[in-house]
Amino acid sequence: MSLRKKSGRFAAGVALAGAIALTATACAGSGGPAEVTSSGLGNIPEDTSGTVRILMENVPDTDIVKDLVSEFNTVYPDITVDIESLTFDQMRDKLVSSFQSPDPAYDLIVADNPWMVDFAQAGFLEPLDQRIDSTTDYDAADFFTPLTDITTVDDVRYGVPFYNYALGYLYNTADYEAAGLQVPTTLDELVSDVTALKTADRAGIAMQPQRGYKIFEEWANWLFAAGGSIYDDEGNITLDTPEAKAALEAYIDAYQNAAPANSLNWAFDEAFRSVSSGEAASMISYNWNLPALNDPAGASGDLAGQFKLAPMPGGKQVLGAWSWAIPSNSGAPDAAWAFASWITSKAVDVERVSAGGAAIRESTLEDPAVLEDGFGADYYEAVKQILSDAAPLSQGAGGEEMIQAVGTELNEAVAGTKSIDDALRDAQSAAEKTQG
Amino acid sequence: MRFKYGMLAPLVAVFIAVVGFPLLYALYLSFTDYKLTDRGAPDLVGFENYLSTFTNPAFWEAFGVTAVYVVVAVGLELVIGLAIALSLQKQKWARDVTRSMLLAPMFITPIAVGLTFRFLLNDQIGAIPELLRGIGISYDFFGPGRALFTLAFIDVWQWTPFMVLLLLAGLESIPKQPLEAARVDGGSPWYIFRRIVLPLLAPVLVVAILLRALDALKVFEYVYATTRGGPGTETQTIQYFTYQTGIQFFRLGEASSMAFVVLAVVLTVIVIAFRRLERNKRA
Repeated sequence: MSLRKKSGRFAAGVALAGAIALTATACAGSGGPAEVTSSGLGNIPEDTSGTVRILMENVPDTDIVKDLVSEFNTVYPDITVDIESLTFDQMRDKLVSSFQSPDPAYDLIVADNPWMVDFAQAGFLEPLDQRIDSTTDYDAADFFTPLTDITTVDDVRYGVPFYNYALGYLYNTADYEAAGLQVPTTLDELVSDVTALKTADRAGIAMQPQRGYKIFEEWANWLFAAGGSIYDDEGNITLDTPEAKAALEAYIDAYQNAAPANSLNWAFDEAFRSVSSGEAASMISYNWNLPALNDPAGASGDLAGQFKLAPMPGGKQVLGAWSWAIPSNSGAPDAAWAFASWITSKAVDVERVSAGGAAIRESTLEDPAVLEDGFGADYYEAVKQILSDAAPLSQGAGGEEMIQAVGTELNEAVAGTKSIDDALRDAQSAAEKTQG
Repeated sequence: MRFKYGMLAPLVAVFIAVVGFPLLYALYLSFTDYKLTDRGAPDLVGFENYLSTFTNPAFWEAFGVTAVYVVVAVGLELVIGLAIALSLQKQKWARDVTRSMLLAPMFITPIAVGLTFRFLLNDQIGAIPELLRGIGISYDFFGPGRALFTLAFIDVWQWTPFMVLLLLAGLESIPKQPLEAARVDGGSPWYIFRRIVLPLLAPVLVVAILLRALDALKVFEYVYATTRGGPGTETQTIQYFTYQTGIQFFRLGEASSMAFVVLAVVLTVIVIAFRRLERNKRA
């Protein structure tokens, strides 16, 4: 082959590679949101038509929302609500793809709190201040403040609360009575209680020390109980403090002396199973697990009815929350707000909570219809206390990465592969690197 | 265009679309600061991502974790697979039934296998810890120093049949004459295995190890379903680490550079392995 032919083919190859690379360049990030057609209105006319495609998590609260759609259609007959449900792990990837697409898959979403800042700052979500303020009788001030704090990024509201994931102390009253103990009000009492509750065939507490989100979510409650915080008032990370050390020491003490054997990798499923089957006397988990534990047709069987919920010792706990948000590339933003504002309105919220949904409004927890339902007034009183003083795991962008990094360090300390001091120092450093 | 090149055109087109474009696109991303939360075209950052990858101790730690996993899993699969293949070769009855049953684990999707073992090995409800407790043993399968080996064990459970399949085919293709001659000459079974069977099986062994090693290198589902990389970072494999960087933390440009570093290392290993194989063949 001649040199000329060779160089010609080489040039053709380079040209082809270049063309592909240029095509690739054109693809990256080019699918930004389509032009926003939102009216920004609060009160959406009842003759509005359209289809609202919603992505939700595959959990019971989604079923409650689905059951309410027919009632929504009595008010808005021309709006079709199409709900797709996925497991949590699949949701975010689908959402990000939809946000980037000029032809989005979703018109209304529920956003988890660690995603909120990233999504809002990326411009994926429509600001809702104007809609919220102009919706008649919406009473946004009635939402629990910690929940609305999560939806507010740089003083702009990008969502309205849908569901709370605030944690509390769930315990078996029969086990507590048998042991002659009172519900703990301090961190020391918590450790001594769960240690005393441990017997040969029952753990004192089922813990969730799995690396990453789970351990951080659980341990942060211990941190608050020890008087510590994740952030100070200026938003600086405060994980390498005496309070954090006391909380981690107490957590490890409880894990070693009161938790089920070999549970270092446990997450929610295992802990719930352990408590509902009577193999553990308590757990720190989402407040709305109480109805599930006390459900006679549920996993607890004969133990149903024995469980109670209390705020964490010290009264402050970790808050997780889902919020309704409208993607800025939504194809039906007005119809989406019609549904979001309707489902979170005072009257419908009472129905949703009575059906087993998690609380978001203070007034709902004082409504006679809710207080008289099967879950019990003392349960709602505990939920009210919990939601009144709760803080999320992360503030600011990069929340997911910060949670994973800190959760890894905490897990190392519990596993014994790192000292408490080193783990907290590295957690502080990793969190500062991510969010500092 | 000559006819023979024309015949190749569909294959080339499919190859470019299915393999070439994604690969080039990922290569392009590896030189950018692209984040999943970005809008608009990303900025080119040159070799910044590669520099970050090469100087990231967590990346190399994940690489080391993956290497240990591959060596343990594939090593065990090779030994167990060879033993089973030698036994099956001698089987006289119900061969088809045995072989098809043996292959069953391969048909299950890895994420389902991971979830199954997550609960099977759970100390509270798992059957295996319960059986072990019956004989006085308490063992934390996902505890420090053990979790990685548990994951390797899961891989062994699922993929040893694949090794058996390949090795059995290799054993059955070995010519009978050298074996018979060795037996006539009074060679012991161990001698025949070591001096005749193993050398003749060597090409199949290399391919089997290579295929399994490449597959094991991609381990993700077991980690995702069971340990999420813990305790600490003990089971944080390279695929899980890359997934976290690119998908969970949105830094797709950085994750692409990690993927290309892994690709380069793997390609180097493959090339060396095949060159040695060729050299041995010629010798």
